[in-house]
Amino acid sequence: MARAEPPAATFERRVLRSAAEHHYLRVRLELPDGGARPSVAQFKQLVVSALRELHGEVGAALPVDVLIYEEKTLSAILRVISSGLVKLWSALTLLGFYQNRRCAFRVLQTSPFLLALSGNSRELVLD
Amino acid sequence: MVRFKNRYVLCEVVSEDPRCRQCIEERAVGLAVRDAIGRVHGDYGLACCSISFTVKYLNAYTGTVLLRCRKDSYRLLCSALPFVRQLESRAQRYPCFLNTLHIGGTIRTCQKFLIQYNRRQLLMLLQNCTNEEERQCIQKSLLSCSITEEQSHSGDEEDDDGTETD
Repeated sequence: MARAEPPAATFERRVLRSAAEHHYLRVRLELPDGGARPSVAQFKQLVVSALRELHGEVGAALPVDVLIYEEKTLSAILRVISSGLVKLWSALTLLGFYQNRRCAFRVLQTSPFLLALSGNSRELVLD
Repeated sequence: MVRFKNRYVLCEVVSEDPRCRQCIEERAVGLAVRDAIGRVHGDYGLACCSISFTVKYLNAYTGTVLLRCRKDSYRLLCSALPFVRQLESRAQRYPCFLNTLHIGGTIRTCQKFLIQYNRRQLLMLLQNCTNEEERQCIQKSLLSCSITEEQSHSGDEEDDDGTETD
């Protein structure tokens, strides 16, 4: 079937479906002052226990990795399978206690690309 | 107005222990299923399934259970059913498991399926029976079950009493 010659394409539309395998989250754990700070293993355990509480054994079985964890600032970068992003995010949000003390997770940034977490425009200091 | 759509899950309780029959009651089955959902899917799954979750029909003699839940969350319920491992009632617990037979949108379709299923089971029993007395007994119940079906067709949809003995 002959198609009418379209006018010279002025633009081309490209659609990127979210096909990324993983999502990355930069999170910060907020603890009251003077409390014990979790080590890397305890941090991972905290994340898994949050998942287990909200989403049960199925949630606890989600592949979640802690890529970077800084004990000093309590910030971390998590990697999770894309289909489990909502589960992980909701579980982190609803976590309220660490060792019977109040705590909170702040999700600072989230992206399907790790490179996007290298900078944060909200923390830019403009002259 | 749009009606709330439900899913009805028809299961049978399978147990090695014949004493398990006496502990098949609505409360025990409901609690066991809720417990399994809470274990497998956590607070979120339990809350999703708890909306309009009930044990709609239960036959302790044949071990048939009909569960109801919202259409949105029946996958959560079905995936948790294999994790029911025991029934507990009156401080006694018996190991058993739930075998899912059918998932339907109305009680009526589940009832139809159950009648067909039980008739097939009777035919299988008929093939496997060894002496003449058994054969006649099963043939009699086969005939009686077709009569039960006729009656149940005239009944209304919410009529749960459509199963025949086997």
